[in-house]
Amino acid sequence: MSTLDALGQGFAGALSATNLFWAFLGTTLGTAIGVLPGIGPALTVAVLLPVTFGLDPTAAFIMFGGIYYGAMYGGSTTSILLNTPGETSSIATAIDGYQMARQGRAAAALATAAIGSFVAGTLATLGLTFAAPLLASAALEFGPADYFALTVLAFAAVTSLLGASLVRGLFSLFLGLALGLVGIDALTGNARFAFGIPQLLDGIDVVILVIGLFAVGETLHQAWQHGRDDAAPIPLTRRAGMNREEWRRSWKPWLRGTLIGFPLGILPVGGTVIPTFLSYIAEKRLSRNPEEFGHGAIEGVAGPEAANNAAAAGVLVPLLTLGVPSSATAAIMLAAFQQYGLQPGPLLFQTRPDLVWTLIASLYVGNVMLLVLNLPLAGLWARVMLVPRPLLFASVLVLASIGAYSLNRSLVDVGLMYAVGAVGLGMRVLDLPLVPAVLGLVLGPMAEMQFRRAVAISDGSLNVFVTRPISAVLLAAAVAMLVVPWLLRRRSGRPIAGGDE
Amino acid sequence: MSRHRLGDPTIPRTVVIRACWLALALLLAMAASAQPLVKELRLIAPAAPGGGWDQTARVMQQVLQRTGLVTTPVVDNIPGAAGTIGLARFVGSERGRGDTLLISGLIMLGGIVMHDSPITTADAVPLARLTGEYEVITVPTASPFHTLDDLIAAFRAHPEAISWGGGSAGGSDQILAGLFAEAVGVEPKRVNYIAFSGGGESLAAILGGQVSVGVNGLAEFLPQLEAGAVRVLGISSAERLPGIDVPTLREQGVNVEFENWRSVLAPPGISAADRARLTTLLERMVQSPDWREMLERYRWLDRYLAGEDFTRFAAGEEQRVRNILRDLGTGDDKAQSLRDSGPYPLFVLAGLVLFGIAAAVSVVRERLRRRGASVRGHWRPIAWIAGGVTLDVLLAESAGFVLASAALFWLVARAFDARHPWRDAAFAVAVAVGAYLLFADLLQVQLPAGVLAGLL
Repeated sequence: MSTLDALGQGFAGALSATNLFWAFLGTTLGTAIGVLPGIGPALTVAVLLPVTFGLDPTAAFIMFGGIYYGAMYGGSTTSILLNTPGETSSIATAIDGYQMARQGRAAAALATAAIGSFVAGTLATLGLTFAAPLLASAALEFGPADYFALTVLAFAAVTSLLGASLVRGLFSLFLGLALGLVGIDALTGNARFAFGIPQLLDGIDVVILVIGLFAVGETLHQAWQHGRDDAAPIPLTRRAGMNREEWRRSWKPWLRGTLIGFPLGILPVGGTVIPTFLSYIAEKRLSRNPEEFGHGAIEGVAGPEAANNAAAAGVLVPLLTLGVPSSATAAIMLAAFQQYGLQPGPLLFQTRPDLVWTLIASLYVGNVMLLVLNLPLAGLWARVMLVPRPLLFASVLVLASIGAYSLNRSLVDVGLMYAVGAVGLGMRVLDLPLVPAVLGLVLGPMAEMQFRRAVAISDGSLNVFVTRPISAVLLAAAVAMLVVPWLLRRRSGRPIAGGDE
Repeated sequence: MSRHRLGDPTIPRTVVIRACWLALALLLAMAASAQPLVKELRLIAPAAPGGGWDQTARVMQQVLQRTGLVTTPVVDNIPGAAGTIGLARFVGSERGRGDTLLISGLIMLGGIVMHDSPITTADAVPLARLTGEYEVITVPTASPFHTLDDLIAAFRAHPEAISWGGGSAGGSDQILAGLFAEAVGVEPKRVNYIAFSGGGESLAAILGGQVSVGVNGLAEFLPQLEAGAVRVLGISSAERLPGIDVPTLREQGVNVEFENWRSVLAPPGISAADRARLTTLLERMVQSPDWREMLERYRWLDRYLAGEDFTRFAAGEEQRVRNILRDLGTGDDKAQSLRDSGPYPLFVLAGLVLFGIAAAVSVVRERLRRRGASVRGHWRPIAWIAGGVTLDVLLAESAGFVLASAALFWLVARAFDARHPWRDAAFAVAVAVGAYLLFADLLQVQLPAGVLAGLL
């Protein structure tokens, strides 16, 4: 049976009126719960799993596709409206999305996020349909040395986010790296910089840092700047969706975001932070107006949102074809599949083709539902910006507190988040960039761990980084990324930028 | 005018509301069952969603609900530090509660040793061991090791050249690697163990041939084993398992028998009646056909052991874990921790200080250049917000989440605008109660109820 026939049969099972209803319900619930800060996709899927228990496999999978994509998408809403990313995958979205919202363009930001998620989700599901086994075995070639090289490449890319002043950007980056040192050293199991506080043993959650720096920091900064003035609520622009110009500026980032997100999502140690930020950085570098980034560039929302949904589909590739869950969400999905006697692994496509193809067909259906549900809601959500400022900021802090608390059910996290918020205020007042700190916290521990793993595996030799082809290519690309702009600047005769550029 | 046309909200809104009601009705319908032994039961998984403890809790939830033994079983995740954070919270704040259980097991014993946890499983009431899982030693298909003897010979000749990939440091996988080394006469300290976070990551490393040997739970590896994607050199069971053609470690001359077991604990200070009731509950659960079916599905071994026998067993295991982790040289050696992790932390701290000074200089120079032009901040609203935050953190657990949040809301709103104290108060109560109901009741994220416990 060819792939298309099999997929056709999958669709035949998926496209009944009742199944469409389950898809709708799944997407609605997934989005609604995914919106809440601190409740990421993993917990959303875990909380909603019992709802699918009583259903037959087809209906359950249909609902599942909706819940999964809905939960992945939901986080972008609070990122855009309240600068409060609920999970790591929507951190990059917050940077320009929130600025757009503050300019009254919330509906356009939400629309480009929804359509971008749909485009990326659908394209990536196509990739999953036709190339899954091939891609999965290619992804296994990635070893610790290659992951380290990937983080080096990401660090090289980060330099373009360091902001106007190089030393301030680097200080922010090292602040993030230093925060990343806190917690159990994964390789030896020793505690580092935990200062005897057990809650710090697992390190500082990047969501705490982000909510603290962005949501709390922004609230404090608004209070600091304006005090008690009567700033009127931000008026919304007239249109509910995107205008022609915004469409023109969005479609390429959607496609590029998909191209970046899907392959990185397939890597068993991918995560969604690196693809979303690489997409953001790529858009900034390719843009004719890079200075708009950080001030409401729609490309900065379109790219990362596409990248995170493409990565979400990518995660299913190793899960279905190898039985390798590469995220907490994937691990829960694995448990859910087992409910129906579907044992993901190398033999899945042979042993239960009926269920696999129904599941894959469900993912397409879930994606369409996501668009149908969220596009009309974009205009509705955008009205959140009409709430008077005192009530809006008060709600943000209440939600941020619950979000921080519900991550680990610990008040230490809440206190930590507000401490980070105070630091965020200081950084804003002193004009230090915030994003490098977040990337330092994400990339630092990963780089360190993969480096040490690679060196330990090769019994102390550093040659692995240049003898392994993937690693060598990635490192060369990183060097090129740093050196080429410098050379170009030299050739064009301009002085090399020092402190401020 | 244009506002009313924004996205035509009428249709989706009603449909969304209807769908939510339907979902709610569905949840309620599922919760209704006959003859419960316990009405409400909270199962605390001291780990994030997705791992073995979380799976155990969710399987228990399902079985207890299906069999009608518990009307509303709820799963609650308190992750952190190999379960020791969940354990400390459980012992500290659930004392005497007959409706709460903690999922525990071998890995928690490792965590207690590794992190010098002042709270141990002995501070809670051990109820029963539920399941067990054997471990397998595997190599990639392209590996030069075809038998366990090949591996042992190479390992003895040059221990550090063999990299062992498995789950987190101090967990069951590393413990088995240590026991294996000891049994074949290699110093456990010389095991080149590469810790990966979670089963998926280590599975990928073994399938991709990134490490020489893999140590993992059998269940995670069965699909790979059936597909011939890895070669299994040995299993840690006492005898060969039916249907799985893998020789045991023991029959190949390596005197190791090991399994990763999971258990449940009750809070300290519960009454004898509660303890008896919970034990009966577990006993009935493990006898149910639903439980059997789940064991089969997850390929867990039935290892039900309750009462004194379990307490004795756990004490023996604790000693074993403590010894092997000491021999492996992990954890307790605090003085070494900086040296162990290499120069990276020093590099980061040096960079932080260096660029901190440079950034400070740059900020001061800019200020001097634009003297007088900088905007003056307002301290007063910051003070209001700081007050709100302090109250929130202080009150959240004593007075309860609703009061703390309402206070936070009102003070923050006050910081921005003092003219509408009553409006703000009304919104404060509405938002706090709404958020509480949403998180605590609908999503079952446990928030402290405090003084309003009876009302909500």
